[in-house]
Amino acid sequence: MAQRLDLLDPAEVARLGGIEIVAEGVVEGFLAGVHRSPFRGFSVEFTEHRAYQAGDELRYLDWRILGRSDRLFVKQFEEETNLRAMILVDASRSMAWQGAPERLTKRAYADRLAAAVALILLRQRDATGLVTFDEQVRQVIPARVKAGQWTRIVRGLLDTPDGHGTAAHAALQRLTALLTRRGLVVLLSDLLFDRELALTALRYLRHRGHQVVVFHLMDPAEVELSGPPEVRFRDPESSVSVVVRPRELARAYADTVRREIAAWRKACRRHGIGYHHVQTNMPFGLALRLLT
Amino acid sequence: MSFIHPLALVGLAAAAIPALLHLLQRRIPPEIDFPPVRYLSAAERESARRLKLRHLLLLILRTALIVVIVLAAARPLVPLQGGGAHQPTAVVIILDNSPSSGAVVDGGLVLDRLRVAALSAVERTTSADRVWLMLCDGVLRGGSREALLATIDSTHTGWQRLDLVQAVERAARMVNAQPLVGREVHLFSDLQSTALSSGHAAVPSGVRVLALAPGRAVANRGIAAVTVSEGAAVIELSGSLAGNGGTPQPVPVTIRLGGERRDRGEVTARGLATPGSDRVGGMPRSAVTVPLPAQSLTPGWWVGEAALEPDELRADDRRPFAWRVAPPARVTATATAGSFVAAALAVLQDGRRVVAGRDVVISGGEAPTGSHAIVQPPEDPALVGQANRALAARGVAWRWTQLGTPGVIASSDLAVLTGVSVVRRYRIEGADGVLATVNGEPWLVRSGDVVLLGSRLDTAWTALPAAPGFVPFVDALVNRIVIGEAAVASAEGAPHVEFRTRGADTIGATVFGPDARESDLSPATPALATSALGGKDRAEVLSAERFAGERFSGTRRTDASGLLLVLALLLAATELGVATRTR
Repeated sequence: MAQRLDLLDPAEVARLGGIEIVAEGVVEGFLAGVHRSPFRGFSVEFTEHRAYQAGDELRYLDWRILGRSDRLFVKQFEEETNLRAMILVDASRSMAWQGAPERLTKRAYADRLAAAVALILLRQRDATGLVTFDEQVRQVIPARVKAGQWTRIVRGLLDTPDGHGTAAHAALQRLTALLTRRGLVVLLSDLLFDRELALTALRYLRHRGHQVVVFHLMDPAEVELSGPPEVRFRDPESSVSVVVRPRELARAYADTVRREIAAWRKACRRHGIGYHHVQTNMPFGLALRLLT
Repeated sequence: MSFIHPLALVGLAAAAIPALLHLLQRRIPPEIDFPPVRYLSAAERESARRLKLRHLLLLILRTALIVVIVLAAARPLVPLQGGGAHQPTAVVIILDNSPSSGAVVDGGLVLDRLRVAALSAVERTTSADRVWLMLCDGVLRGGSREALLATIDSTHTGWQRLDLVQAVERAARMVNAQPLVGREVHLFSDLQSTALSSGHAAVPSGVRVLALAPGRAVANRGIAAVTVSEGAAVIELSGSLAGNGGTPQPVPVTIRLGGERRDRGEVTARGLATPGSDRVGGMPRSAVTVPLPAQSLTPGWWVGEAALEPDELRADDRRPFAWRVAPPARVTATATAGSFVAAALAVLQDGRRVVAGRDVVISGGEAPTGSHAIVQPPEDPALVGQANRALAARGVAWRWTQLGTPGVIASSDLAVLTGVSVVRRYRIEGADGVLATVNGEPWLVRSGDVVLLGSRLDTAWTALPAAPGFVPFVDALVNRIVIGEAAVASAEGAPHVEFRTRGADTIGATVFGPDARESDLSPATPALATSALGGKDRAEVLSAERFAGERFSGTRRTDASGLLLVLALLLAATELGVATRTR
């Protein structure tokens, strides 16, 4: 029996072919396990309640609950169609890094994951677009649902070279101008930029009524420090370097990374932003499942 | 603390290696791209203090590890407290039973005190030890512990002096040659300063010399030597005073002659010795001369004894002597011998010091005749050549030459000649046998049985015939010098006299007695004793209690290298733990 591609090692799956083949294979496998659209929006078919968050439209407030319990809840509806989704892919230089030759770079992983998400959304007849950015917005493919949109998205991914620095907040602010209609915003990034500035932009999107989901991509080698007895680590974006003995600093580094992830998670949760920490050795199917 | 391999301590210099490596081996690390450097910098900032402390701790641990390993290689010996068994030890026990150990101090023999300590030391030995015993004879005696205990128990005061420096050196060489862990020399002695005056003992490294501290010093007076000559006995005294500031007092001396020859009767004479001005070994040396009644004694060998009143050390209070009383010489003076010689012989004949005969012929330049001849130069210078030829024919190696310069006579052998002026003399040339000189040139010489004078015994040549010592000089010349004295030698041993014989004749004697240095009971200072017995690194002078604690402590000192290696392992494990610790 053939194995589901969405549950295989991403690097092995990537060896099957280009982004399209990989994404299609992953999506086929992934959809075989779900029967309804995993994405929730604001439609007519009520599904559940959730706590009110700043930016939610007041018309979705459940006034009955407010009257009974003096608590703010909004009603969520199962979206049937016409969800507008924008996939933001960080193309900065740091994303072009891999901790081991047998693993995908963060950028390669992000591209394949973005293609898979786009394919799922387009199959649901949801308008889907793409923005790639580093210190500038590099590619903008407006959200459409028409045929050939997925191909354009894939081409947009392929045509975006690895950038230099990252100024995500600037790109995200520009994105707010592009996204006039509320919808889903999926950010795929290693988040190696100023957290407060980036959160400001994401908060702004959230305030505009977008549902924001952040995929924090990390190579496993970025989570657990290792290397020669003594090594000079250099930031490929800023060229800042530091000489350390990985064995001595491994524990402290792991703690720092853990704190950073926790800080992102806490800040995102506080602002109603979905946050998922994804390592590049995680099967694509599991990463897609985080969206459901 | 001492070390078995002290040279290994040179390796302590290696303790600087970690610090030097830290300073010198700063490598250029490989450079790797790593995007989340910001996390790394944050982690490093938070850990900087901890890492510095950790690096310092590692440096200390590594340095300490090297130091401990080097110390372990040097094999330190750490003394063990209290008793306990010692490791196999080679030990020489020197029991100094020389004559001085017979001194009585505080009512007991010094030797008894030394013997108790020596017995205790031997009793502490085990079957694994090798033990030797050395007494004052210097012989190293091996044997079982029981045999050595019996020997020590039966040891009495000996008559031989023991040079402690040489004894310790020999003992140290002996124990050093043994393949045992411990090497010790135990010295039980009164530590006389005179027994330690021969230098410094060469004690090999690794050999411990433990000396029992001497007891209280006591005063002593002993007879150093007895010399009989020209009818008088000269008794030399030696000894020590108790403490500083003691004043030497006159000492009565008794001479007994012929005590062992009942058929000849006993002659007793007494004298009073007072301290002399010369000092030997820091002590005043005194002497007394006691006249002996030579004329009343029958010719032959006499054995006598000089004695002091008893004191703390009895061994040196008596000393025997031997004296040969010769029969009067048979003397004839030729006509050319001169009137002064004839007059002197007449006086001696009256005193029965000489009798008429031809055993000794005194002549004035003619050829020497008789079995013994005393020859003066001829009055007429023209006969000197003939006289020389006669001397050569007799086998005499001396001859007269030209006239010498006037001067005074000097002689160490004949005191009566010293200072007498000579106005006319012939120089004498020849070989050995000079008895007196004038201006450094031979004046009175002896060659075999012929005695030559540089001047005639006449007031025109020398003032000697008019001097009071002339008759004694002629007496010594005919009775002693030309005939030859019987040799009396001295030797160390129990006081007695042994005669040397040739055929039926007695030709000499040897007088035995203790070494005069034994009379000086002054103990050496601890510093002097330590220095003489091998130096402060190897020798110790200890009280009886400390001696009991220190003996065999060289092997009761345990080798701490094992403990240090364990410590090194702990340090290494700690270092490994700290070095591999990631937090």
